Amino acid sequence: MHKVGDIIVARNIMKANKKLADKNQDKFDKSNVFCVDFVGAIGSGKTYLIEKIIDTVDEKIGVLAGDIISDLDAGRIESHNVPVVGLNTGRECHLDAHLVEHGLKDMPLDDIDYLFIENVGNLICPVDFALGSHMRIVVVSVTEGDDTVEKHPYIFQDADLVVINKIDLAEAVGASVDKMVADAHKHNPDVKVITSSLKQGKGLDEIIATIEEFKNNL
Amino acid sequence: MHEFSMAQGILNAVLETAEANDADKVTDIVIEIGRLAMLNPEQLKFMLDILVEDTIAAEANIVLEDIDVEIKCYNCDYEGIGDVDDSDHYAPMILCPKCESHRVNVLNGKDVTVKTISIEKEDGE
Repeated sequence: MHKVGDIIVARNIMKANKKLADKNQDKFDKSNVFCVDFVGAIGSGKTYLIEKIIDTVDEKIGVLAGDIISDLDAGRIESHNVPVVGLNTGRECHLDAHLVEHGLKDMPLDDIDYLFIENVGNLICPVDFALGSHMRIVVVSVTEGDDTVEKHPYIFQDADLVVINKIDLAEAVGASVDKMVADAHKHNPDVKVITSSLKQGKGLDEIIATIEEFKNNL
Repeated sequence: MHEFSMAQGILNAVLETAEANDADKVTDIVIEIGRLAMLNPEQLKFMLDILVEDTIAAEANIVLEDIDVEIKCYNCDYEGIGDVDDSDHYAPMILCPKCESHRVNVLNGKDVTVKTISIEKEDGE
């Protein structure tokens, strides 16, 4: 036996995902589809926001709904008569570009204008995994505690739009919306922040307008 | 939280390289982890220690190296290693060392790379 030292491996484990993400985005661009990735904690209002947008706009929307093991979110969105593909991550805490690529096989990209990807409820892991979307929206609700934004710098640094939801409940849970807005800007000075109460319809129009603005500026 | 799938990717890279070099045994694995990768090095090491069992890398010495964060500052155009401000976060916040702005574009420091391995092989191979 003899020892051979320092064989160069130089394999970037993250790059495989990034490459696939770029491939996904090429597919979106070829079909003229604007892709938005929704991330946020469990119960922040991601599914509800997607449902509200579908009900409000005329554009054709398709949805990839990520969930750990259930198809409950996919079922909710399907009832709005749009193409939906459920993506189950099994044990994983995030969607990755590979899962999205799989989901695209059943998504009629040429028949839609927007593709919404609902990530798994998690403010941490999705940071490491680009999916190929053109825009990332982070949804956070005041009921998660008003230190939630402060505690999760990276997801907010990566955000193109921050939605602070359920502001109608802020007083009841003793949360400061102003603190959450300030924290988002501390992490990401130029990011647009919209405060919303989606149940009351507040903030929805502004969110839709911001998505359209991003699409037009692409 | 996704240390397991990362560890699997790392082990695949190690074993494929080892096989391509006719290794009988992997003795060392050096992995670079960007300081902004959302991974806990201790958990990653723990996963790797489990995954290498029953492979030719079972006894390998696993070394994790921190990689600094490279930035370009939107505010003053500085390009280079960013400063780490971990005063109120366990996870480091990055700022420009020149003008202390948080308005920076991260160029490098989020990746996980299997850098090198050392192997043993039969004499004469």
